[in-house]
Formats: sequence, structure tokens, C-alpha cells
Amino acid sequence: MKAHHVLALALLPTLASAQEVYLKVTTPGLQRVMMGIPRPGGPAAGLPGVAEFDATLRTDLAHTAVIAVVADDRAGMVEVDARDAKLTRQRWRSVGAQFFLELSPSAAGDRFTVEARLWDLVTGEITFSRRLAGTSALAATVAHTLANELVRTFTGRPGPFLSRIAFASDRSGARELWLMRWDGSEPQQLTNHKSIALGPAFSPDGQWLAFTSYLRGKPQLFALRPTQGYIKPISTLPGVNSSPSFSPDGRRVVFAAGDDGNTDIYVTDTTGSTPERLTVARAIETQPTWSPNGRQIAFTSTMSGSPQLYVMDAEGTNVRRLTTTDVFADEASWAPDGVRLAYTTMVEQRFQVAILDLRDGSRTVVGGPGNNESPTFSPDGTSLAFVSNRTGSKQIFVTGPDGVPLQITRAGNNTGPSWVAQVQ
Amino acid sequence: MRPKWEVITLIVLVFAALGLAGCSRPKPVVAPEVAPPAAESGMPATTTPSGEAVQVQKEPTVTTAQIPESGVGASELPTSVEELNKAGFVKDVFFDTNRADLRDDAREILAGNAAWLNAHNSVKILVEGHCDERNTEEYNLALGWKRSNAVKSYLSSLGVDAGRIDTISYGEGRPIATGHDEGSWWQNRRARFVVVAR
Repeated sequence: MKAHHVLALALLPTLASAQEVYLKVTTPGLQRVMMGIPRPGGPAAGLPGVAEFDATLRTDLAHTAVIAVVADDRAGMVEVDARDAKLTRQRWRSVGAQFFLELSPSAAGDRFTVEARLWDLVTGEITFSRRLAGTSALAATVAHTLANELVRTFTGRPGPFLSRIAFASDRSGARELWLMRWDGSEPQQLTNHKSIALGPAFSPDGQWLAFTSYLRGKPQLFALRPTQGYIKPISTLPGVNSSPSFSPDGRRVVFAAGDDGNTDIYVTDTTGSTPERLTVARAIETQPTWSPNGRQIAFTSTMSGSPQLYVMDAEGTNVRRLTTTDVFADEASWAPDGVRLAYTTMVEQRFQVAILDLRDGSRTVVGGPGNNESPTFSPDGTSLAFVSNRTGSKQIFVTGPDGVPLQITRAGNNTGPSWVAQVQ
Repeated sequence: MRPKWEVITLIVLVFAALGLAGCSRPKPVVAPEVAPPAAESGMPATTTPSGEAVQVQKEPTVTTAQIPESGVGASELPTSVEELNKAGFVKDVFFDTNRADLRDDAREILAGNAAWLNAHNSVKILVEGHCDERNTEEYNLALGWKRSNAVKSYLSSLGVDAGRIDTISYGEGRPIATGHDEGSWWQNRRARFVVVAR
């Protein structure tokens, strides 16, 4: 089986030698730098927000492709010299650390402040320093911000830890839209329609969330402005309207609709113009998804008998079949690089997430217990969110560069994740 | 809409009979019961204003004439839509996994539904397409839509006015059975009938 970039990293050695030219690690890939981060100690450990800050930072960094945190058992061997901070830092080298993150949390009233200094233990110099502050209720956000900046230090691009995932959940009784952080924290209910809402899709700029709702009795498309709390209809064609996906410029939405029994792919702009039909086959066409460069649309069609993935030019021309060895293929989701598609396939009667590499047509199944479906890439392309029923109900998991799936929802059934870098 | 045509035919025949006395055309059996109100209008049937045509449609004789054909009398219809739904005159049909084409047993049930619907022209129905929990959510929305429309188009081919049949897909969103095995799945691969107007 061909190793997949995102998921095979757990198998690779993470302990790099001190001579490693770590700053050349500019793409998520082969080596992760070892970072020593002491657990909060002394009076600071009891300050409001510190425990949450520490836990959040460690969870975030465990899900990067570029940073590994020295494990607690080895970190515990570092003897702290209270009079010589430099000596203490150098002792982290003996347990494998290449970098040392010095954190000085403080609290005044409701104000939570962290001073962070990242020491390069090879050169003995400070690589990065920041003072981050917020209310103690925002301790997790402070940690996410710091994690993003640490990733930027090594890759030139911020990490995905301030990103959010929209999803549909029945935890309140009816199927409503919800929003959460990438790690499942800070869940917020976005709709309270007591109808059926499903299939949320963010605009790339995070301003709009398109979704299907039975709000008016029939499945129609709406767009929600999460930060302002209002919705507007996008498509109310007779029959079904579902599966929205925004164009990269956020001006158009491609979706599935049909009133003659077979859904087809339609495109409309977000101002409510008349939708234009892109496909004409007498089969089910659904789940369109716009490519990151805007030129192509991948979708599912049953024109060959079973559901398979196809791609066409954004104008609806030049339709090609993408999947040929799957008995079932649906729910395509583009990686930000535009050359990989995550999708749902079927292996031994169970749904599994697979990655299709469009450069060579190779296909990698990312297996797991239960049924696993609805994959979506993180905005930085290093992680996948997907839905699994491995616990007995439908829950959202995030698989990071360490290859270990993290369960990020627990209440009710949770489906249809859509991941955006920032909600605006 | 057979009753209407019969009435119009009868009216035409009655006028033909009145206008062409002695003609060899056979007289319709029920003509005397239908003819008087139409004849009183004093206008040829072909130019009868639509308002009067509606009046003719309401002729009780014609309505009762239809009863024996259906086997179910209009007078037996429950008085409310709720009761009609409880009575289950229109029966649900089931589908094979991942299919939206109609099985033989489904066609048989639909033929019965069509006969009943043809006998009760005022009844309007909603056909809900449902799916089991397998398949992905939005694919099931499309599949449920295809199922409900397969039913609509078959009923329509059996003479039920398509305007009386509304369709909706709930995909896997409103399962009838909530288990996670075939014992529940077969029940959820369903086109469910709901009477929406009596």
C-alpha cells in the first residue's frame, strides 16, 4: 500500500539529530522538530486558564506535521536548575529536544497573559518570542494562536488551530447546524429551526455557510452568515436542492437539484439568480465540489450503474470518470493542493475514507473500524475530518499528521463536517 | 377524469338526439337523468361556459354511477385527512438496496393505490422517498427523490393525475425503523404515502 502523506507520518522516526537543518522543513513531511515544553509548575500552575492553555497547546502541537513535543516521561528527567536557566535549557538537549519553549503565564484580574520564547538549543538563541494576552476565558484561543505561530516559524504558514468545523447535529433534538473548533471545543448552535438541516459548506472566506434545510417543508438551499445570524435562500427549485459547494471566489454555488426524479448538477450565484443546469444525464448526479483553482467540479454520478466520482470543467463540459476500481464512490472533497481528492468508498460492505491522487490515479484507503464517511480536508491540507459510527453513533473524528484519529464530538449524531480557516 | 368526459359525451349525445330526431344513434342509458339540467341551459354543450360545465360535473347521477367500478363508495371515505391516513387506503412500497426501480410487489401495490386514487379524485397525496442509513447522507437525499418520483410516474401511467401527487425526499433523515441491520433497513427503503387533501 502506498503510504499517504497525511497519515503515514506516525511510522516515521520523529527524533531528529541535533545536526538536522530543521528550518528547511517547509512542507509537511518527513521530519518533525523536537520541542521541549515544561509542564506548568510553581504558583503559575494554579492561575485561571493555565491548565486549559497547557492542554490545548499540547493537543494542537500533537496535530502538526512539523513539531513533536518531548514526551512527559523524558521531560520529567530534566533536572531544573533554579539559578541557571541556560543550564536547564541545555539539559533538554539530552532528552532529545532541539527547541525549548519557555512559557511565562501570568494573570491579573480577568486578564490572562503568556510570554512565550522559543529557544533554539543548537545556537542557543531565541528564534521566536511573543506576548499573548486575553481574558482567562480565552486561554484556549491564546494557545491556538501560539500553536499557529509556532507552526508558521517552521513552515512559513500558520497552523490550522484557529480553524472551525461546521456540522449538522441532532444533539438538541432536531437536526441543526453547529460550529466548533478543530478539536471539538467551543461548540455553538447556529440554527434553531426545529426542521432538518444538513450538508453545511463554508465559503472559502468563512463568511457564508450554505446548507440544505427543510425549513419550508422541502429540501432547499440557504446560506447562513454565522457571525451575523441571518439566512437567505440560494436555491428553491422544485424537488430536491442539496449538496452546495462554493466556488473559490465565493461568488457562485454548485449544487444538486432536480424535479424530474433525477438530481443533476446546477450552478447559481449567491445573489439569487436563476440556476443554470450543468449535467443532463438520466442518472443521479449529486455531491458536486468545486476545485481549489475554480476550473473543475468533481461530483458523484450513477451513470455507470453504481455511484462513482467524475470530474468536469466548471462549465459542465469535458466529463471524465475518476474512480474505476471502487464498488461505490461518493462525497469527493478536494485537498487544498488541488491534486488529491478525499472521498467515501466501500470496502467489504463498509464505508471507508480513501484518497485519490489525480496525478497518477493511485488510490489509498484510509481504513478504520466501523463505517467512515464524509471526509473533508483541513484548510492547510494536513488533516482530515470524517464521520465514523465506530462508537455506535455518528461522530466526527480528525486524523492529523500523527495518524491517530481524535474524536471531537460525543453528543448525539454529528455529520457533514465542513472545515474553514477562519469564520468571518 | 372519466366522469367529466362521460357527462360531456352524454350532453353532446342528448343534444344530438334532440336536434336530429329520428336519427338511428342508440340512446344512452342514463341520458334522461343527465340531460335535463344541461338542456335547460338552452345552449349547445360545446359552447357551455365553464361555470355551467362545473355544475354539470356535480350531477349526482354520474358520481354514483362510478361507485360500482371502484368497489369503495365515496360515502365510505373517512371525514378527515388524519383518519384517511390511519385507514391506510394507499399503501407504502419498498425498494431493494440502492435501487429506485419498482419491484413487482411494489407495482402490484401501486396498481391497487392507483385504482383507489382513480375512484377518489379529490384525494391528493404526498409520496415521501426514504432510504436506509447506509449510503452517504446526500446521496440518499437524491436516491429518496428518485424513489418518490418513480412512484409518482408509475401512478401517473396508471391514470392518476400527476397534479394530485406531490413528492419529497427525506433521504435517511426520517427513518421508520431505527435499528442498524437489515431488519430495520428494508423498512426504511420505502416510498411512504401521506394523504394531504381529502
